[in-house]
Amino acid sequence: MNTSDSKLPLSGIRVANFGWVWAGPVVGQTLGFLGADVLKIESRARIDLTRMLPPFGEGIRDPDRSLSNHACWAGNGSVSLNLKHPEGRALARELIARCDVVIENFGPGVMDGLGLGWDALRAVKPDLVMFSMPAAGLTGPLKDIRTYGLSLTSTTGLDSLVGYGDGTPIPVENAFSDPYNGIMGAFAILAALHHRDRTGMGQHVDYSQQEAVMQMVGPAFMDYALNGRSAGALGNRHPRAAAAPHGVFPCAGEDRWIAIAVTNDDAWQALVAAMERPAWATAPELAALPGRLAALDDLHARLAAWTADQDDYELARRLQAAGVAATPVLNVADLLRDPHWRARGTFIEVVHPLGFKETIYGAYVKTSRSAITVRPGPRIGQDNERVFKRLLGMDDARYQTLVAAQTIY
Amino acid sequence: MPPGALHGITVLELGEYVSAPYCAKLFADYGADVVKAEPPRGDPSRTWGPFPGDVPHPERSGTYFFLNTDKRGITLDLSTPRGGELARALAAKVDVVIENHKPGTLASWGLDHASLAALNPGLVLISITPFGQTGPYSDWLGTDLNAFHLSGASSRYCGRPGEAPLEHGTFAADFYGAVTAATWGLAAVYGRVRVGGGQHLDVSCAEAIAATFVGGQNIGGCAQDGRFERRTGVGMPLGAPATILPCKDGHVWMLALEPGQWNGLARVMGNPEWMTVDIFQDMYQRAQNADAIYPLLVEWTMEHGKREIMDRCQAEGVPVTAVFTIAEAAEHPHLAARGYLTEIDHPALGRVRDLGAPFKLPASPGGPTRPAPLLGQHNAEVYGERLGLDGAALDALRRDGVI
Repeated sequence: MNTSDSKLPLSGIRVANFGWVWAGPVVGQTLGFLGADVLKIESRARIDLTRMLPPFGEGIRDPDRSLSNHACWAGNGSVSLNLKHPEGRALARELIARCDVVIENFGPGVMDGLGLGWDALRAVKPDLVMFSMPAAGLTGPLKDIRTYGLSLTSTTGLDSLVGYGDGTPIPVENAFSDPYNGIMGAFAILAALHHRDRTGMGQHVDYSQQEAVMQMVGPAFMDYALNGRSAGALGNRHPRAAAAPHGVFPCAGEDRWIAIAVTNDDAWQALVAAMERPAWATAPELAALPGRLAALDDLHARLAAWTADQDDYELARRLQAAGVAATPVLNVADLLRDPHWRARGTFIEVVHPLGFKETIYGAYVKTSRSAITVRPGPRIGQDNERVFKRLLGMDDARYQTLVAAQTIY
Repeated sequence: MPPGALHGITVLELGEYVSAPYCAKLFADYGADVVKAEPPRGDPSRTWGPFPGDVPHPERSGTYFFLNTDKRGITLDLSTPRGGELARALAAKVDVVIENHKPGTLASWGLDHASLAALNPGLVLISITPFGQTGPYSDWLGTDLNAFHLSGASSRYCGRPGEAPLEHGTFAADFYGAVTAATWGLAAVYGRVRVGGGQHLDVSCAEAIAATFVGGQNIGGCAQDGRFERRTGVGMPLGAPATILPCKDGHVWMLALEPGQWNGLARVMGNPEWMTVDIFQDMYQRAQNADAIYPLLVEWTMEHGKREIMDRCQAEGVPVTAVFTIAEAAEHPHLAARGYLTEIDHPALGRVRDLGAPFKLPASPGGPTRPAPLLGQHNAEVYGERLGLDGAALDALRRDGVI
């Protein structure tokens, strides 16, 4: 909780987050980074599967020690409440009456089944912002579709754009859509809060993860809308054919690559000069973009031959100095070593409440006035006493009874 | 129709290409009053297309149209002293300025945060760049491609081993940075009283992805154990089936991890003998035998169409989906039933189909409802209303090439 910090824009906003796995927790995390008091509602009766995701802090397999869980949930507090118990559900409603926002990412109807649907909740908190983010929205023929975050993109057209251009789509191996929707979901909530503050009205946000992600195919969709063309995979080529060369080229070492984007004719001349003007590159038809696009495959093959035995970082620095947009392609370990990300404090070490150190991501947006404090991911139920006793005014005897009954669990 | 949720917020966009324009579009589509200032030659995305019939025309770019709905457009050459002066006067009266120029560019125009904050203490300045305002690469040249590959996302998650790491085939880093900037920026506006004024937000597209997507699931383990993984070309190497497979008319995202899902898939496939083998009842063991399992699944998928596979699997509770082409996604009855797709009239493009609002706010519906502006379309309106400039003053600015 950040109530002592007046420099955070959402201090004073309280959020009950029923989100689980990744997208929902990141909605809460985003609001938490920005100062809201976010309470993830979870239970040992049905442990979130990401709490069992390895690796674990100090290698000890335990639901309070999953490192990726902590990174993705940092900023959420935790209240453990067994929603299978009627009293657990009643307590959830009592808590929501003291919240500004409810977040959930179950399928449509699940919250209704728990007695925590929109009609029930607006009755206890008339100006509530309820945020639901099912895969394909709350209505429509596909509303009950089952997907995982990593395959949700398939129904947006986005997956059809990913590949080497040989007709085979390459699956992105993790759910890009989860953190993307987690962050955009927070925008939706902020918009609804702005509306609430202006009009006094809450609302139930219908956030279709499919529709939000499909925005990313906007330029390709427009080609379909205007020309009836449905794009295919382009490799690393420019999505609108506005730059050439434009791709990823091999460098010296194991799995080392450089990304080069030549966005104008001057940059091409700079690249030609950096290559020491080989005959093929000085061909006059390559001097302008249309000629380079016409010869793109050959151009990329020749460029790859030139980069192949060079050091990725050194070459990137040399090309940058010459005026060419070039960057090394980083792997996961590089992220921790890279001077740029180190200088920006992208990753930070924190001490978990259980005492072990772990590395998670810090404030990935730099704010000149707000002092962002990043806390480690929560232990299950770490905020129980604060919430049930101090916020809801429960006496200790009742609290202990509910703990013993595994309602607070 | 009631006003959009962000009614009352005013934004000045000094953006080009994708990241800042999409960030500003999110504000505009949900009801903020967004003025986009373009150089007299226009946002370069006007040259990108897609154009109807592939005939280039600055007023007919589909990419520009998509990224700039619901905004008003003015022209302004920020690199001239008078242009900088006009921009300062406009920035003095808005809640938010959104820009995506190379770090230092705004300062060279007299529009750095300190100058603007002196005029407008409540201003939220949102700067979106590939690499950020600080750090050793802040003065590097960069595009969406560079940002994505500097994030670690491609090396870890996208492409076949031994082949080049891949991006998404769209401006994935720019969109990610835009969404991040919109969220943090709107929070900064919403919480101005609590924070004690406006501020400058430094958003790096690469950093947003490196932290929240790659960092979220990889960094803790890498820091603790010194181990990390690379792309495999398979959807999920730990469990199976979990990858994209070919079928009769395209591809399907084949996912059947939990026992109920595997059994459901078996029913759809007519309970083939091999699927009942003991070691195949566990997703981890199936992954270890993926080389045997995937060809057997493909034998079946190749006999069926993607819609049929998706419908039959979903009916059995198996989370298999068809890999939709752009056309298939655009024409899907679900999106039509939800009113996700919309049509907007545009003076140069005619009636244009467009993607609708990314999420639904029932009490304060979002756009897009108005087309992207023509170049300088709202010069008279905006300069008149905001700065009190009359026709003669605008003519003079036009003559001097400032607008």
